[in-house]
Amino acid sequence: MKKFFSNLSLNKKLALIAISLGLVALIAGDPYGGTTIKVNEKSIALSTVNNSDKISVNELADWIIKNKSDFELIDLRNEEKFNEYSIPNARNIPLVQIPSSDLLRNQKIILFSDDNLEAAQGWFILKSKNYKGVYILDGGLNAWKEKILFPKAPVNASKDQLAEFEKMKEIAKFFGGQAQTDNSIEQTKQEIKLPTPTVNKQKNVPPTGKKKKREGC
Amino acid sequence: MNAPFFKFDYFNSDVSLIIAFVIGIAFGIALEKGGFGRATILASQFYFTNMRVLKVMFTAIVTAMLGLYFLSVIGFVDLSLVYLTQTNLLPMAVGGVIAGLGFIIGGYCPGTSMVAVATGKLDALVFVVGMIFGILVFGEMFPWIEEFFNSGYRGTITIPSYFNLSYGLVVFLVVLMAIGAFAAAEWGEKKMAAKTGKEIL
Amino acid sequence: MTSLTKWISNAFEKEEGQEHIYHEAKPFSNPYLVGIGLGLVLLSAFVIMGRGLGASGALSTVVAVTVNTIAPEHSAGNNFYSEYLGDGTANPLKDWLIFQTLGVLAGGFLSGTISHRVKKGVEKGPRISTKMRFVYAFIGGGLLGFGAKLARGCMSGQALSGGAVLNLGSWVFMMMVFVGGYAAAYFMRRQWI
Repeated sequence: MKKFFSNLSLNKKLALIAISLGLVALIAGDPYGGTTIKVNEKSIALSTVNNSDKISVNELADWIIKNKSDFELIDLRNEEKFNEYSIPNARNIPLVQIPSSDLLRNQKIILFSDDNLEAAQGWFILKSKNYKGVYILDGGLNAWKEKILFPKAPVNASKDQLAEFEKMKEIAKFFGGQAQTDNSIEQTKQEIKLPTPTVNKQKNVPPTGKKKKREGC
Repeated sequence: MNAPFFKFDYFNSDVSLIIAFVIGIAFGIALEKGGFGRATILASQFYFTNMRVLKVMFTAIVTAMLGLYFLSVIGFVDLSLVYLTQTNLLPMAVGGVIAGLGFIIGGYCPGTSMVAVATGKLDALVFVVGMIFGILVFGEMFPWIEEFFNSGYRGTITIPSYFNLSYGLVVFLVVLMAIGAFAAAEWGEKKMAAKTGKEIL
Repeated sequence: MTSLTKWISNAFEKEEGQEHIYHEAKPFSNPYLVGIGLGLVLLSAFVIMGRGLGASGALSTVVAVTVNTIAPEHSAGNNFYSEYLGDGTANPLKDWLIFQTLGVLAGGFLSGTISHRVKKGVEKGPRISTKMRFVYAFIGGGLLGFGAKLARGCMSGQALSGGAVLNLGSWVFMMMVFVGGYAAAYFMRRQWI
């Protein structure tokens, strides 16, 4: 057998190698990752340290106001709830559809639902598929409504806290909410969906948030 | 999954330009060493006297395809992040025929013409000027061609996807096809050489 | 058929002098080894950049930028040019393909110089004049430029790079290039053989 192999010309050797590799390819499986995944539980656990995988609602509000577009904001709830109200620029991908979505591994993805539970589940699904930039909106929509849309005036506030509250009032107005200056129960929930004129609903934002440079020939 | 490195922000786009230059150098060297800086060698492909073009091209495709496939299967490369041009069936077919005509009439393709220019071939220079003219004509005519240009859209799709075959199977079939083509090419070349009694370049 | 082969043998006879230059200084003339080398370069582009190689794109960018400099409103309204000009945030000439193409020029020159293959000349068959060769080169270039843009890529971009990732359109393009080439080969035989 060895003699046979060494007697072949270079070209035939190359052909043999190619065919062997081709045969291996027949059984080697799906190059896109397939359905079995190698879960690196250590690295997933590590990424929870320092809350580096969480985004606060304040941060998110800030980014939206500043018109940052380098991230994908994903609403994990069902379509009905999404149409009722959602955060500006959010995309609706119900949790169960996350595995089959078109999200890319190098995107910055912020997940949210009403609270943290579904976001955490979605976070784990994506992390197990080796997605690099997945984040949870800390507190979800509940926190968004409480802190951003209807911020409550601090009781016995200091000067700094009052100044802070003024800022929050502006932000609330920006998103179509209303600050609660008295302790009355909030009247109506603002169910209007954005966008206010300054908030762009960028549907054509390139996946990486970078300006899409041609990659063709 | 760490690759493609650029897609995971291992370096910025300015560095990528330097990388482009370096990769280009390697590309140019490979083409020149392959004899692709000569229009007569490129054209002899179509007269069955020298099947280099087919051999080099398909070997390169098979090599890169196998490399990419296996690197993806082991999870080093994220294949979904590797760029794919969209498919517009009819325009690409028609464009291919026109390009094929240009190839045999002009004797070069865009990449090889650069190598030929670099090695002093004046006809390659004329060819490049012709290409610029062709692109300009295309650009100017674009408003009228635009609809055709965008017709036959099938999405961004691979052969395995389109024919609903497993990726590995298509890889295997491509390898088989290439080896078959090489065998036929070797046989054809030998026959031609026997007829003329001359050595193949 | 015999006259055809006679012509071919005549061609090779005339080419003998040039052939000789190529037989020395050829470290590997095995086309399969060259192909593997080329394939590895392509693979490195995929792994490092997540994209393949290309050629016609660089020229298109140059054309688009030139048109834009001369007549900006004209190119702005044209979807083809504007694609190559980007959204204005970056200099369109800082393009990956342009730098890659410059590299190809450098690499070709480097390799040619080392192998003593850099020589001013004209590639053509023995039965055609230089002038006609230039005419055909221009026409061929024009067709290739047009066809490559219509197909969104050329041999390097579509056939080679697209072929390696099993892109459907790329394989269609590649097959049709061979069809077009072989179809016209008979009519162009005076130029080459």
